Amino acid sequence: MGLTLKVWRQKNTKAQGGFETYQVKDISSEMSFLEMFDVLNERLINEGKEPIAFDHDCREGICGMCSMHINGRAHGPWAGTTTCQLHMRAFKDGDTITVEPWRAEAFPVLKDLTVDRGAFDRIIEAGGYISVNTGNAVDANAIPIPKDKADAAFAAAACIGCGACVAACKNSSAMLFVSAKVSQLAQLPQGEPERATRALNMVAQMDKEGFGSCTNTGACEAECPKEISLSNIARLNREFIRAGFTYEK
Amino acid sequence: MKWSQFFDTSIGKKLLVGATGFFLCSFVLVHLAGNVQLLYNDGGKAFNSYAAFMGHNSLIQFIAWGLKIVILLHAIIALQLTFSNRKARPVKYAINPGNQTSSWFSRQMAIMGSILLIFIIIHLADFWWKFHFGNVPTINYEATGEPVKDLYSTVQFAFKEGWLVALYVIGMIGLSFHLIHGFKSAFQTFGLNHVKYNGLINFIGVWLFGILIPIGFAAIPVVIFFK
Repeated sequence: MGLTLKVWRQKNTKAQGGFETYQVKDISSEMSFLEMFDVLNERLINEGKEPIAFDHDCREGICGMCSMHINGRAHGPWAGTTTCQLHMRAFKDGDTITVEPWRAEAFPVLKDLTVDRGAFDRIIEAGGYISVNTGNAVDANAIPIPKDKADAAFAAAACIGCGACVAACKNSSAMLFVSAKVSQLAQLPQGEPERATRALNMVAQMDKEGFGSCTNTGACEAECPKEISLSNIARLNREFIRAGFTYEK
Repeated sequence: MKWSQFFDTSIGKKLLVGATGFFLCSFVLVHLAGNVQLLYNDGGKAFNSYAAFMGHNSLIQFIAWGLKIVILLHAIIALQLTFSNRKARPVKYAINPGNQTSSWFSRQMAIMGSILLIFIIIHLADFWWKFHFGNVPTINYEATGEPVKDLYSTVQFAFKEGWLVALYVIGMIGLSFHLIHGFKSAFQTFGLNHVKYNGLINFIGVWLFGILIPIGFAAIPVVIFFK
């Protein structure tokens, strides 16, 4: 199929960006969206032009690197799918596709479609972990955990930190990400000792990074490639209220 | 985390917006229950004695002043959040998903809230100010009783103006759209999200607060206008 691509090009964080239009031909419907970009980039390199910079790593939907805003949708039109798992059969011959980077104050554009998601790392550093002694792996079943709890924690842990929630939110809020990272630990006994400081510090860091606040529109849940539930945001709110009202420091 | 820090976080501010929002929801219920008396054909006896009671009871006066502070708090904090949310996305998208990923109501909270705030200011200037500080004629229903201010007739007279009736209907459309999302959103902010109750919360938010109550309020000026 042949397509018209309008792609955001920006030299670096400080440069003024703009859309460039490219025509691509002979795109197979079985190609992934990133493979289509590979084809275009090969051509640009052969023509001696600067290829389009975009993030990617595993290309199997689990690393959370690919981050394209495609025709107004984070990771494109398919639900529960990352950009690398979006295939060209989602489009028709002759379509015009507009591709933009994630847009958020906290995710500055590094180049073209690549953004700096370091803000997420700093939120995790603020409390998205449990403190354990290293050494041999502990027996997985040393602490019995009911199946439904384990499943709920795992569903939250499915978050790959891709930033689609921030990209999809009209407020560039990171609440779905932070709530997933709090929820995966809040539902397990291992998360209990650092429960209060985790919620307080991660939320404080989230605000410091310049993400917006949540207005419960649900756009994050609709766009999340891992289908993280909004109920996690409610849990984060509960954790934060509990810590704020009871934690002594 | 100190209280001052807690309520300065994004979630802390949202909790204040949600708590004040809940208080305002309870207010609209009481306000509508009282205002329905404007539709009685009793020459205003019920409504005027109710207004006199509300205007003189010190506990109610205390709550009434609290209410004005709550409205201001709700509006100021929500606007503050709205502006910081705008700042969180300095470069806009060329293409937006519209209603594909979120409901239209959920994205218009600030606009509907602003319409409501303007409406409330006009509404207070129209009746509350007049009742307390303006010239409202008095009426005596019982030979031995105290004369009461005839707010009933003032209202009946005011709503003969078509433009004012239209303004009130617009204000109530603002209330409707604001509460269709606002009511359930406040529950989510307080962490009250539970499969067993979400359906009920959504139903009450949409049908009672989003539709029935605004229609009830809007019906009063409309009925008086056509009476």
